[in-house]
Order: sequence, then structure tokens, then C-alpha cells
Amino acid sequence: MIDDALKRWLCLGCGFSYDEALGLPEHGIAPGTRWSEIPEDWCCPDCGTPKLRFEMVEIAYAPGQPVIHSAVRQ
Amino acid sequence: MTQSFVLRAEQRGFNRIVSSGATASYVGGHPDAFVTRWSSFNFHDYQEGRPGFGRIRVFGDETFNSPGCSYSMHRHHNFIICAFVLAGKLMHLNTLGNVEELRPGDFYVFSAGSGGFHEELNMQSEPMQALYLWMLPDRLLLPPSYGSARFDPAAGNNRITTLIGSSDDAALSMPQDAKVSRLVSSTPGTYRYAMKSRAHGVYAFVIEGEMRCDAALLGRRDSKAVWDADEVVCQTGTGTTDVLFVETIM
Repeated sequence: MIDDALKRWLCLGCGFSYDEALGLPEHGIAPGTRWSEIPEDWCCPDCGTPKLRFEMVEIAYAPGQPVIHSAVRQ
Repeated sequence: MTQSFVLRAEQRGFNRIVSSGATASYVGGHPDAFVTRWSSFNFHDYQEGRPGFGRIRVFGDETFNSPGCSYSMHRHHNFIICAFVLAGKLMHLNTLGNVEELRPGDFYVFSAGSGGFHEELNMQSEPMQALYLWMLPDRLLLPPSYGSARFDPAAGNNRITTLIGSSDDAALSMPQDAKVSRLVSSTPGTYRYAMKSRAHGVYAFVIEGEMRCDAALLGRRDSKAVWDADEVVCQTGTGTTDVLFVETIM
């Protein structure tokens, strides 16, 4: 069976998390972008660790997270 | 069936990170300062070993050499970062507002959660030695937190003392199904470390001295991981033995 659920990935250099459901709009990655669709030479936006040193994690969010930052400020 | 591996001191990854050139913004104290790091698990440039054990991802045996040697202020998320000072003085600063000098026996738990910066600094001429442990958290983006405490080897002599965990006797807690304990032994003894369940494993790291861990004889900076077992039987000798145990859900 193919597991097509959206996944979360954690940077093993600093702990930055990438969530496929959320993407990283502030870094030009749209919500819903699969990990496999991110270029292989992509690096952690916080610490520069290369993509191959991220780990897929199945860890739930803390209550109240994730906070979605709207691009449109009131 | 019980599973285990033994990691000898010299089998760990080794990095010497200088405070000049390409790593000058990573390690402070240029031009003379440098960090030496022995990694039990894959971390940064060392990728030839094991990826971790249970929820442990980093176990670094590190020395900060020369006054001003530091990991410069930098950001983390999610990881639970613990330090156990073995020698010298560690100045820890974080953006939760903590500025603290830690001495041998002192340890801290910094849960980076939804984001926090920290700096690790040696301001003294004497090298600062510490063990750095990073654990995955049980939830992503938790509120960041910091706490510190002291392990007194005299008070904790010849018994296994819980440092970090969920039980009442633990000085600090962490948001993970994990426990950190320490044994300082000065007389021959047998210590049975009982796992919380068979789904938990324990990573035993010999800081100083030697001990027999089930069938394996471990020397200084050797370590052994055991899982799928009810307990680990540790035997110490006449000299001083100092061991850190990290128990984790597998």
C-alpha cells in the first residue's frame, strides 16, 4: 500500500522542521510541496544543513501549533 | 531477544573545528580557539556511524580549547539539548533570558521547541569538557524551556542517580519518554539497571574508569547500547567509575 499522507521532516543539524502540508511560502515553497519535489541541493534555511541530512519524523504538534503566518497583515 | 552494540572510544567520529576560516562564524574565539568533538552518532561531517539510538540523535564528547572558544549564538528548533559539564567552566546563554555559568557536575536541559537561540562559551584558559546530548521531542514546536541542576558525586556515590526524567527524584524533566542517570562508583559493586519496559533501550557511556556491562568490558569513553531486554547488569571495580545512562523509548 502506498502511504501518500503528507509528511514532516526534521533538520538533524538544528531541528528546523519542514511540513509538506505547510510548505515554506516565505522561502518560495508552496503548501503541499512533497519532500521529493524539493531540489536535492536545497539546504536548511536556518543552518545550511543539506537536504539529505533531514529525517522524516512522525511526531505530532504541540497544542496550538503550527501557527500559520498569513502573508496578508491587517 | 536482547540486542546490543558496543562502541569503543576510538570508533567514534572525530572532528576538530577551528575558529578561523570557513568555520569562524560557527566556532568563536578566533584565531586560536578550537572545539574537538567525538561523536557517538552521525552528526555534521561525521556520517559513517550510526544515525542514533531510540530518540537520541547526538551524543558529543566535546572540549572547548582556549579562552573565548564557543559555539556562537545560533538558532534551534525542536531538539532537546542537554549538556553535562565534566571539566572547566561552561557559560551558557540563551534567548529565553538565561545566562549561567556551569561547573563540573552541573547539567542543563534546553528544549528548543518553537525556536530559541543559544551560545556555549568557555571564557577560561582551562579547557572546558562537556557531554552534549540531543533528543527528539515528543511533540513538535513546544514552548521553549530551560532548566539546570547539579549532580554531586559525593552525595550520589555508589548508586545510580536519576538526573533527568519524569519521576519525582529527577532534578529536571524533558518532553520525551527518556531518562538520564549517572553512576559514580568507588568500590566494587553490581548495579542492575532495569528498563522501564522492553520497548525501552539504554545507552551507557563510561565517562571515567571501567566497568563490565553484561558481558562487555568497557573502558574510558567506551559505550554500550542494550535493548529488547529487561535490565543491564553493570559491575564496577576498585577504582572510580563514572557512567552516564541514557534510557529512551525505541
